[in-house]
Amino acid sequence: MSYRWRTERRIAGLMLALAGALPTASRAGDVMDTFQVHGFLSQAWLISDDNDLFGPSSQGGGSFDYTELGLNLSLRPRRDVLVSAQWLSRRTGDGDASPVLDHGVVDYQAFSSRDRRLGIQLGRFKNPFGFYNQTRDVAFTRPSILLPQSIYFERTRSLALAADGVSLYDEEYLDAGTLRFQAGVGQPQTGNDLDATLGLADWPGSFDGRTSYIGQVLFEDDGGHWVTALSAADVRAGYEHGTAALDDGRFHFQPWIVSVQYNDALWSLTAEYALRRIALDGFANPAYNTSQVGESWYVQYTRRFADDWQWLLRYDSLVSDRNDRDGSAFAAARGGPAYARYARDTTGGLRWQPTPRFMLAAEWHHIEGTAWLPATATSPPPAKYWNLLLFQASLRF
Amino acid sequence: MTSRRAGNIHHAIFAARQATGRGLARWWLWLWLFWLPGGVAGADEVVVIANPDVEIDTLSHDMARAIFAMRQRTWPDGRSVDVYVLPGGNPVHKRFVKSRLNVYPHQLQLAWDRAVFSGTGQAPHQADDQQTMLHQVATTPGAIGYLERDHLEDSVHVISLAN
Repeated sequence: MSYRWRTERRIAGLMLALAGALPTASRAGDVMDTFQVHGFLSQAWLISDDNDLFGPSSQGGGSFDYTELGLNLSLRPRRDVLVSAQWLSRRTGDGDASPVLDHGVVDYQAFSSRDRRLGIQLGRFKNPFGFYNQTRDVAFTRPSILLPQSIYFERTRSLALAADGVSLYDEEYLDAGTLRFQAGVGQPQTGNDLDATLGLADWPGSFDGRTSYIGQVLFEDDGGHWVTALSAADVRAGYEHGTAALDDGRFHFQPWIVSVQYNDALWSLTAEYALRRIALDGFANPAYNTSQVGESWYVQYTRRFADDWQWLLRYDSLVSDRNDRDGSAFAAARGGPAYARYARDTTGGLRWQPTPRFMLAAEWHHIEGTAWLPATATSPPPAKYWNLLLFQASLRF
Repeated sequence: MTSRRAGNIHHAIFAARQATGRGLARWWLWLWLFWLPGGVAGADEVVVIANPDVEIDTLSHDMARAIFAMRQRTWPDGRSVDVYVLPGGNPVHKRFVKSRLNVYPHQLQLAWDRAVFSGTGQAPHQADDQQTMLHQVATTPGAIGYLERDHLEDSVHVISLAN
């Protein structure tokens, strides 16, 4: 936690210094005219027949431990500069909802012409990872209450979320449409989720983010019908302050995601496919040095009707190890349930957004397997087949 | 009168989409019933307007879309751009976004949310109606907005969209 606060203070200091150092071309009053405050709040109610997600969802009246609260401030000190910061308080069953700096950037749009625009972001920037990662905690930008968990799962959330460093972007206006390119280098966030996911929560050491790389190419056709993207990353972390047998190891997370979306007036069809290599190396005890490639994909259909309603159907599949799709090899070697190594989620959802500021949503998941279920110490042993019902109310300003 | 005609055109578009799988006869019936009596586009055509200090007469569709999606922050000549839009439920807004920007209003709203909450852009200014839009664009340097042609006045500058 102290590390996180130190980093946040550093970023805030950097942003202020950069913003202050910029010669303000316009009067202070004009700059304050560009000041904007936005925010969002969502509260969910989760009920499951087995397996707890975000609090005791399978017990009694379910769980209300899924709350997202965000505050966003932005300012344009110069015509080509944007300063933006967002704090996020997120409670997902573990009781810790302390606000964290979600992003904090100085964005300088260095070049802008009829054919292209080029810019740079400094600070804590959101990783362009698939269609939804950059605003994954804002209910209004998600198609459903839970994003497809095969790709946007909780287990390595902190690594995928944002990075402290530099990101470059380029947008090219072509005859056929718009091509967008973004590439960043920086230090990822590491939370306790990573230690828990890798089964190292009980050990004294922990992971710290190391220099990592992320990039995305996105194409949007001229008619606004097709959006396609390719995202890739090499996210690295180092394990430190462990025991003699468990120290100085490295963690690599190398996902590739292909994203395709077709939009019509009243419906959208979206699919994403990801290959995720997760590797540990450098540990003195070779038992901890492992590598596996996971596979994730989903197909999602959303249909708008009666102006402010939308329904959704989705099939979402996750395999933790492509070489052991049914988890049987894992079960034989480690003794755990095979169904902890995959998850197949069929989802149906309904949402009503009577105004741009307010939204109610409900959805039902039928799931086989628990591969994306966040690891918790207190939960009973997970069940193979489970159903999850969610309701969510969201506000935005 | 204007808003009724807008409604008629909306109905015709909706009808045309609904009819694609149901045969042409029905489509023609809808067209005859709802669109033809409304007359052809003219005074209710939505045009892009800017503050008179903007010296640009033409914008490409891509750039107009990037500006209204709040991704592009400057005019091609480097001047700062200030974007004004009508409320999301306003029929003129819906028509402008669909017919001139070639995207759907909910996609544009999503683009704004994504820009704001990912730290890559700001939200546009909202004008409550066309009179306010005209006033705001006329008095804000570098402003861009849109209006039905019959609300136009000399205090703003019209920009045409081209490929």
